[in-house]
Amino acid sequence: MSTTDVLRGPGEDALAAERRELTATWSGRGGFVGWMASVDHKSIAKRYIVTALAFFALGGAGALTMRLQLARPDNGLLGPDLYNQMFTMHGTTMMFLFAVPIMEAIGLYFVPLMVGTRNVAYPRLNALGYWTYLIGGLFLWGSFFAGSGPDTGWFSYAPLSETLFSPGKRVDIWAQTVTFTEIAALIAAVEIIVTVFKLRAPGMTLNRIPLFVWSMLVTAFMVLFAMSTVATASVMLALDRLVDTHFFRPATGGDALLWQHLFWFFGHPEVYIIFLPATGMVSTVLPAFTRRPVFGYTILVFALLITGFLSFALWVHHMLATGIPHHGSSFYTTASVMIALPSGIQVFCWIATIWTGRPVFRTPLLFVLGFLVLFVLGGLTGVMVAAIPFDLQVHDTYFVVAHFHYVLIGGAVFPLFAAIYYWYPKVTGRMLSERLGRWNFWLLFAGFNLTFFPMHILGLMGMPRRVYTYREALEWGDLNLLATAGALVLALGVALFVLNVVMSLGSGERAADNPWDADTLEWSTASPPPPYNFHPLPGVDGRSPAWSRPEELPRVTGLATGSREMLVTTALDARPDSCNEPPGPTIWPFVTALAVGVTFIGSVFTPWGFVVGMLLLLPPLVAWGWPRGKREETGTSPEAA
Amino acid sequence: MSDAGAEGLTIDAASLPRTMFGYRGLTWWATAGFMLIEGTTLAVLLVCYVYLRRSFTEWPPAPVPLPDLLVPSINLAVLLVTILPMAFARRAAHALDLRGVRLFLSIAVLLSVVAVVLRGFEFDALNVRWDQYAYGSVAWILVGMHATLLVVDLVESAVITTMMFRRDVEQKHYTDVEESALYQFFLSLTWVPVYAMVYLGPRVF
Repeated sequence: MSTTDVLRGPGEDALAAERRELTATWSGRGGFVGWMASVDHKSIAKRYIVTALAFFALGGAGALTMRLQLARPDNGLLGPDLYNQMFTMHGTTMMFLFAVPIMEAIGLYFVPLMVGTRNVAYPRLNALGYWTYLIGGLFLWGSFFAGSGPDTGWFSYAPLSETLFSPGKRVDIWAQTVTFTEIAALIAAVEIIVTVFKLRAPGMTLNRIPLFVWSMLVTAFMVLFAMSTVATASVMLALDRLVDTHFFRPATGGDALLWQHLFWFFGHPEVYIIFLPATGMVSTVLPAFTRRPVFGYTILVFALLITGFLSFALWVHHMLATGIPHHGSSFYTTASVMIALPSGIQVFCWIATIWTGRPVFRTPLLFVLGFLVLFVLGGLTGVMVAAIPFDLQVHDTYFVVAHFHYVLIGGAVFPLFAAIYYWYPKVTGRMLSERLGRWNFWLLFAGFNLTFFPMHILGLMGMPRRVYTYREALEWGDLNLLATAGALVLALGVALFVLNVVMSLGSGERAADNPWDADTLEWSTASPPPPYNFHPLPGVDGRSPAWSRPEELPRVTGLATGSREMLVTTALDARPDSCNEPPGPTIWPFVTALAVGVTFIGSVFTPWGFVVGMLLLLPPLVAWGWPRGKREETGTSPEAA
Repeated sequence: MSDAGAEGLTIDAASLPRTMFGYRGLTWWATAGFMLIEGTTLAVLLVCYVYLRRSFTEWPPAPVPLPDLLVPSINLAVLLVTILPMAFARRAAHALDLRGVRLFLSIAVLLSVVAVVLRGFEFDALNVRWDQYAYGSVAWILVGMHATLLVVDLVESAVITTMMFRRDVEQKHYTDVEESALYQFFLSLTWVPVYAMVYLGPRVF
């Protein structure tokens, strides 16, 4: 399969020869070790996506088990201890191992393609991020299956999470999992920020950056501040438990509420860290299926930026029931209501896009429409719980559970499915089945509403979160049974999705380079993209480069084909500035991740784990960056010069 | 080169430089990213210090004595002085002056060794154990977090210095020197508020 020849080079034969050489230059080594050593952003992102989806399935299975337990009053399927572990594993998995990683993973795959470059800014660091995440996730689930699953909820409030109330290693395992995954998230954020600022195609000025890339950029900055905070907090919690510090212990001058402040200073932006990439996906999918550029590009960018800023000013609304001062509460209520504005603006822009476009009702658009309905519902209940009197009534009830599932599944998972149906052809070269896709959508949509809508009512009836069972006399049985039935429908929908993805991989219809006639750069290369992504490298002259006439687009020549070279451009105007030679494949990031694993898993059991781990980290880190002697370097030796 | 893209024609990358210092290169951005992350961490810990202070009537809580000032103040001076050789090493790197880089980088690394050793004694100067009250915990984590960064930086600077003493130094390694200098500036300067909070704070509030 050749590329679309959008960017026609000097002569076809010469171009084909250059592409062969580039393929050799940019391909990883073969074999298992070669696979482990890969630093290609596409390979790493694919692993990330598959791993995150596997954790999604595990977290979903946990949720389904809880629903079966709650299907009728006084049920005995799960005991209280296993139920506690289940909801903790479910929340922790969905937030730390699925939602954030999969959004960043899709960013790591598509940001370099959408800005028209060959890899992320730091390919080896990228590999380290993935391996660290994988080890962290396996550690959490390994511990669960070994009978030591965390059981203090996904936010592990102190003092419950302190050794006095939670002896054993369960909370330590939780705390270290958080530290692991946040390191991975921080690495991905740095990758995305620098790739966007420094590796954009010539001509891709700030006001031509695709909206998905904008959303990933804003998200990455939020990750820097939010994840640093929670990683610090989880280290403090681990220290309280391991070496008897007193950060969150009120009896010795610590403060349990400090944990809540730190956790929610991360936890609230976290919601938008998940949601903003989803809005980017919606803004990307819509133009292709409404046959027009998205309405209000500039407003949408500003909405992203405002949401990013405001999301750090809301965390206390998770703590309105803790007795914080009144004027403080009013401020956070106001901020919480205010953040509905940029979200509302985005919704109106998308509606305007559909209204004035010529909608083509394929599966991705169905998921976007489902998203609009569900997200608006979740947003409305969000405004409701921002009001303190109402919040105090429904705090810690199923109303809140309903609210955040509407926001997170409706607001992020539906756009994610839209994005997967949209980009699957680019990643695999195959189309997903449209028929299965429609079944997939309708089952998910119906199943979701059947599961979560009744929870609003259950919450208003007073059903608290995190109870493993309830008495028949409370009359919560019927609605719970309905919710469980809905969860089964939802699970069936997910199963169809898996079936579709797996079957289409082998027997799906072959995808053209640009099967949706979409407008962004990733569609101007082959499906799946070659190891070097583009040749020649494209320049852009507008927001919809793939809708321009090929011969009008600028193109970049003069990059080496026999060695890895990437074009570095200026941060604001994307003018060509220099060439960078990124490092090639290596096993050392994987070895480094193993040492990180020893550090964190070891320090669950003894403070020496940290010391030993740090010492183990040294050799791979030195080997990683050590120059491998003279090669065909473009840099000159100044001594010789 | 500058208005490439306007014409819709060909942009020739062959003549572009292959190594860039400062924000025009990629290394600078990675360092900036990690400074943001670590700066946030230190800022969060400083906020925790002030937050925990509110739960105490006395700070440090009796019978814990005030922290000593001598060793920490000497180390503050050492860290601030390290900025100088690093700044010279950076300037030498910009000029691709290998001898200058070797000289100043070596001095800076020696000073960093002194700082790390003194840091070890600084824990003594706190006059409190980490498991004595939240006061001890938060003082230890602030000094300890910065100490971890110091050790990591020392290892990194030592490796880069060793690299610069090899025979075949490439141009791109000079950007590593610059990055090392940048990170050293960050560590020296962030120590000022941490020092002030941990060692002077208990004397003030």
